[in-house]
Amino acid sequence: MSTIEVHVPDIGDFDSVEVIEVLVAAGDQIAIEDSLITVESDKATMEIPSPINGIVQSFDISVGDTVSQGTLLCTVVVEGDAPAAKEETAEASKAEETKVETPVEAPKAAAYSGDVDVEAEVVVLGSGPGGYTAAFRAADLGKKVVLIEKENVLGGVCLNVGCIPSKALLHIAEVVSEAPELEEAGIKFNKPKIDTTKLRAHKDGVISKLTGGLAAMAKQRKVTTVNGYGKFTSANTIEVEAADGSKKTVGFENCIIAAGSSVTKLPFIPWEDERVWDSTDALELHNIPKRLLVVGGGIIGLEMATVYSALGASVTVVELSPGLIPGADKDLIRPFEKVLKSRYENIFTNTKVTELTPTKKGIVCKFEGKKAPEEDAFDNVLVAIGRSPNGKLIDADKAGVVVNDHGFIPVDNQMKTNVDNIYAIGDVVGQPMLAHKATHEAKVAAEVISGMKRFFDARVIPSVAYTDPEVAWVGKTEDQLKEEGVAYEKGAFPWAASGRALSVGATTGMTKVLYDAETHRMIGAGILGKNAGELIAEAALAIEMGAEMDDVGMTIHPHPTLSETLNFATEVAEGTCTDIYMPKKK
Amino acid sequence: MSTVEVKVPDIGDFENVEIIEVLVAVGDTVAEEDSLITVETDKATMEIPSSHSGTVKEVKVNIGDTISQGGLVVVLESSGAAAAEVKEEAPAPVVESAPVPVAEAPKPAPAPAPVVEHKPSPTANINPESFKAAHASPALRKFARELGVDLSKVNGTGRNARIVKEDVQSFVKRVMTSGGSSTGGSALGVEPMPEIDFSQWGEVETQPLSKINKLTGKFLHRNWVTIPHVTQFDEADITSLEAFRKQSNKDYEKEGVKFTMLSFIMKAIAAGLKKYPRFNSSLDASGENLIMKNYFHVGVAVDTPDGLVVPVIRDVDKKSLVEISMELREISGKARDKKLMPSDMQGGCMSISSLGGIGGTKFTPIVNAPEVAIMGVSKAEMKPVWNGTEFEPRLMCPLSLSYDHRVIDGADGARFVTYVSHLLADARRLLL
Repeated sequence: MSTIEVHVPDIGDFDSVEVIEVLVAAGDQIAIEDSLITVESDKATMEIPSPINGIVQSFDISVGDTVSQGTLLCTVVVEGDAPAAKEETAEASKAEETKVETPVEAPKAAAYSGDVDVEAEVVVLGSGPGGYTAAFRAADLGKKVVLIEKENVLGGVCLNVGCIPSKALLHIAEVVSEAPELEEAGIKFNKPKIDTTKLRAHKDGVISKLTGGLAAMAKQRKVTTVNGYGKFTSANTIEVEAADGSKKTVGFENCIIAAGSSVTKLPFIPWEDERVWDSTDALELHNIPKRLLVVGGGIIGLEMATVYSALGASVTVVELSPGLIPGADKDLIRPFEKVLKSRYENIFTNTKVTELTPTKKGIVCKFEGKKAPEEDAFDNVLVAIGRSPNGKLIDADKAGVVVNDHGFIPVDNQMKTNVDNIYAIGDVVGQPMLAHKATHEAKVAAEVISGMKRFFDARVIPSVAYTDPEVAWVGKTEDQLKEEGVAYEKGAFPWAASGRALSVGATTGMTKVLYDAETHRMIGAGILGKNAGELIAEAALAIEMGAEMDDVGMTIHPHPTLSETLNFATEVAEGTCTDIYMPKKK
Repeated sequence: MSTVEVKVPDIGDFENVEIIEVLVAVGDTVAEEDSLITVETDKATMEIPSSHSGTVKEVKVNIGDTISQGGLVVVLESSGAAAAEVKEEAPAPVVESAPVPVAEAPKPAPAPAPVVEHKPSPTANINPESFKAAHASPALRKFARELGVDLSKVNGTGRNARIVKEDVQSFVKRVMTSGGSSTGGSALGVEPMPEIDFSQWGEVETQPLSKINKLTGKFLHRNWVTIPHVTQFDEADITSLEAFRKQSNKDYEKEGVKFTMLSFIMKAIAAGLKKYPRFNSSLDASGENLIMKNYFHVGVAVDTPDGLVVPVIRDVDKKSLVEISMELREISGKARDKKLMPSDMQGGCMSISSLGGIGGTKFTPIVNAPEVAIMGVSKAEMKPVWNGTEFEPRLMCPLSLSYDHRVIDGADGARFVTYVSHLLADARRLLL
């Protein structure tokens, strides 16, 4: 006596056929070739015969199920040996095994059986620009929303230790560095006296105005805020641990993960020394160092370099790649680097920092690069080499959510993770880590949860470095187009030819537009110069609208403005610009 | 001894052409002007000649690579004997072998895209990239998403084919009136059938169609409206074949074999497919290529209480008439007992619909796509046939060959049916 599993045999090229009739039941005596079930494919109905004689022990299929080759039909008790049949079933179950394998191994969600303290239709984990946007949008669409924030104030990195405070300081830096430029025009100011305590208070004032506004808006929308560090305990619960150690469990129908990113901390950096800063420390304005080393020539590092340079620090920037702001086109960055070189003590590109050693006279840095010295000592070191997503810090696996090796949470174009009721947005889902990307994703997620058919369909996401001068770009860069082999037409307009740029002392600047050579639609733009971040928005709109050269060229831009340069650059591409002299085209 | 890099010369206005053949290997000796590789542009294929003679030291390209002017093809070791020749051309190779770091710098591997298991959503079939790229504003993209319209399938009527709101609306309207299928199905643009209450004229009863009825109905309808059909008629003189068949049945009585006319016709059709290979083909999904088959499986329409099924007999060309007859009996039995597997009904090259046992003179069968032809067989009848001097009574079997006119020309249709008649007129020809 032995028990044998009967599987669906090879029934041709069919998967998932429907069972329309079950012809045997547990306890029935069956013989070889007796029909067990009737299935229906798109061509015909057919009966699946038994491969063996025996008594049906259990029958696992019912009418309406779909079966494929290898699906277990029933177990049959057989008298004596049935080696041939056995072999067949072994093969069949092997086929079944291979079919069960899935490409992405999703973690198995944990079960939570305890009580729930707060219940929400939508819980948002993280209150940065993505998180609060998602929470407010969901609340506006009638959902009961809980917003979890690990800090005491809303707003996340952007409002508290990122975009907003840095812009408050950058504005001051701009005024401070522009004032002495007026000497040429006969206006002389005294050297500024800098009170860092008051300056910090000014910056904090800007922040608290915004975060206070957020708290008020949350209240108006009846969004419940829960302060504390939230971690998943199942696919429907998050446990929030407050600063005082007390714990609360938030139960949810849907969740939007907006957990953001943190400063990437390389292990060899002596973070315990107060003279070593990350961007958050730098925004605190502890002191204005005599000599500041900025490790990382990307947007964050250069913005802080701009602030500290204006406040009187002698700045050295070190960058691993061949140029500053990797990602923007080289022809924009070259004049930018020239300006910075005239202001900063040193800019070392193609250079690696191999060691940082705290000593009495400063932080001694060892360099590896052609132009850099072997080592040098600095009063302070700002390390701004990038940010890492926080995907691995929230026990997402307990909710069954896939987090990749880098800490990003993969999502589809409706911001849905691999778990049906859990969405993710912002820095934690991938590059670029930008607030304005997060807010758009936030709305998509909140609206999808509310039953709207929304998708993240934006073509482009603009990038801005709020340095002095500013660098901004959107869509394709020229380097990308060359690499992809796309035929394009380019128009570049130097700001030295712009009346407005001259009158506001912003001659270091260039506006560049890139058009598809075939359709003449704008596909990219890059701007270097004062207010580049404001100007790039028009290019972003043009790309989203599929605007053609003439659409931009024939739109009357006010004169004299910096916005004209986009118009002029387009005319350069068309060959109709009269504001600069161009050799005849074509 | 020196090495020379051979690069793609100016090949006209072509860039990134595909290499479809590599004609040399390491160690080969090539002379100047010997072909090294064959490339294919969208206009033509051409061979790229060697600019030097020598021994191939390295082959820098593979089939499937794309190459442009200046791309490195092979490295040659020029022999001592060819030294003079090399010297003569020395300036050129020096210039050519100057390093081109920009073109050859290794590109950083793209970061692996995150793998996401997409859950099926109502618009899951929309490719987000082509959707985004459609010439439509953000507001219109949102509108299309609400209606689940794939913008990459919408033709824009705005300036320079910009998609406007009306285009999306009319796209939806068109899809709705064509019966809900947004792809493949073509709208016929005809009036819908009127709904009629037949009970107003007398007693009626509603009987649901069987599953097979419904399914075959769908396929037959699709084939009928999408395939341009032509039907070619002929009559095969089967007088002697019928006598032979009857005699064979007597000979094989003990073995229990019964020959039907159908098995002879199947044999003749397999022979026809061999002689006219276009009948043994299918159009591929793009409709731009023919897939030619080197096997000879023939389908046979079988009438069952539940409806029509078409089991397929494989390798008819290799099987004897005895084998075919036995298999035919087995498979039609299986069909009536609902024991046919889908695999029993797949892979046919051409089908036969035989109504010979019932009656009728001629009919127009519908091609069983993706096959390109079907043979209809009607009831054979004694007819007076003029043999040149007098009328003779001959047993004539009407044949109706329907074919897909996209694949088969009228002349070939006539040739095929004539050839099959010719084989049936004297079955000995099947042996040839």
